[in-house]
Amino acid sequence: MALSNQEKLRYSRHLNLPDFGIRTQEKLKNAKVLVVGTGGLGAPLLQYLTAVGVGTIGVVDFDVIDESNLQRQVLFGIEDIGKSKTTVAIAKLRAQNPFVHFIEYNLKLEASNALEIISNFDVVADGTDNFPTRYLVNDACVLTGKPNVYASIYRFEGQVSVFNWTNREGILGPNYRDVFPTPPPPGMIPNCAEGGVLGVLPGIIGSIQASEVIKVITGMGVSLSGKLFLMDVLDFSNRTLNIKRDPKNPLNGEKPVIKALIDYDSFCGITNDSNDTIDLSPIELARWRQEGQDFQLIDVREAYEFEAGNIGGQWMPLGELAASVNLIDKNRPVVFLCKSGKRSAQAIENITSLGADYSNLRHLKGGLLSWKDEVDSDLLLI
Amino acid sequence: MVKVKFTSALKQFFPDLSAQELEGASIKEVIMSIESIYPGMQDYLLEEDGSLRRHVNIFVRGEMMVDRHRLSDTLTDGDEVLIFQALSGG
Repeated sequence: MALSNQEKLRYSRHLNLPDFGIRTQEKLKNAKVLVVGTGGLGAPLLQYLTAVGVGTIGVVDFDVIDESNLQRQVLFGIEDIGKSKTTVAIAKLRAQNPFVHFIEYNLKLEASNALEIISNFDVVADGTDNFPTRYLVNDACVLTGKPNVYASIYRFEGQVSVFNWTNREGILGPNYRDVFPTPPPPGMIPNCAEGGVLGVLPGIIGSIQASEVIKVITGMGVSLSGKLFLMDVLDFSNRTLNIKRDPKNPLNGEKPVIKALIDYDSFCGITNDSNDTIDLSPIELARWRQEGQDFQLIDVREAYEFEAGNIGGQWMPLGELAASVNLIDKNRPVVFLCKSGKRSAQAIENITSLGADYSNLRHLKGGLLSWKDEVDSDLLLI
Repeated sequence: MVKVKFTSALKQFFPDLSAQELEGASIKEVIMSIESIYPGMQDYLLEEDGSLRRHVNIFVRGEMMVDRHRLSDTLTDGDEVLIFQALSGG
């Protein structure tokens, strides 16, 4: 589709760029990009892809906007808290550029829907925040033959690459599984909710990611296919590493064994099964306290979370638990707690894996979020 | 001597982590040297069978290591070894 006169005016700074011009701008207009995740990376990705005139943008997210998002997710404001991320994002992006067509996917990308959704697009940009979805996006892109422009962040560090891209010579580049064949065991790599992230980091890394999306669409320049860009903003170090395809890659190596999408939660070691032997509900914990039962309560959140609001107990952050194992009682029940119940369950796994002889460990199921819902609505949680 | 650098994400588990100049003719030897400075690092980087954990990667002179199983890639004086891992945040 050709550009209208109004579009030519809007994109005039592109049209007079050397080696860009109307043909390249038309490539952007005719491109369909799927942005998975409307969080820290999603904000700059969506804003720049919209601004530069990518013709069709799919926006995937199932979540609602939380106050803790606003420190880095610059698409959203105070008035948006509690609203759907995709709905708010698309309303703002439409106001930014009415020439762009948006497709809203207010859902969780899963093995059951990923292939169908991704097959509608030319390029996928992965801005998700968890390992199961990263492997899902990677595998779905390989199975559908779509390039996957990847970025990830944590604390002060970012990574960017272009996966599964076929260059002008027809040579297919590496994908995520060539660099990281399988995910880490649960708890080995904390996410940003647990370890934090500098607010401006996704702005920098997401902008580089957007630039790679533009290069994949237009064929301009040299892409990050076959390379992994790493940046640490704290000491301003960055490097570009060479990566290559692994003949043992189970998706598209010499002997592929993965022919369809799999259960990615299970692949990443995440189970949602309840476990009556360790789970303790907020109501039960409240009853234990009311009855004056003798037990040890251990809060495994970070210091700033504990200081903002707690329900008592000893503070031992998850990362330091192994070093404090001698402080954990063996002769009375021990209840770990955290914000959501994830880290407290991990605490039990960590202690058990040390080989110590504990049979008295439990955790607050659903964490303090459930406690707040069911017992004490005034508790401040961050 | 080779220069070993780490992703700062590892500071979560090794708070005093910093780049090191170490002796080592192979990646395996370098990891043993790292273990003596940061006890526990070997368990973090390697599986029980001694192979590199699959969410970790090591680059030498900007190139991905080859032998993830026996860690036999050879190193020469002045090489830079970068140890990093997958990040999930977005």
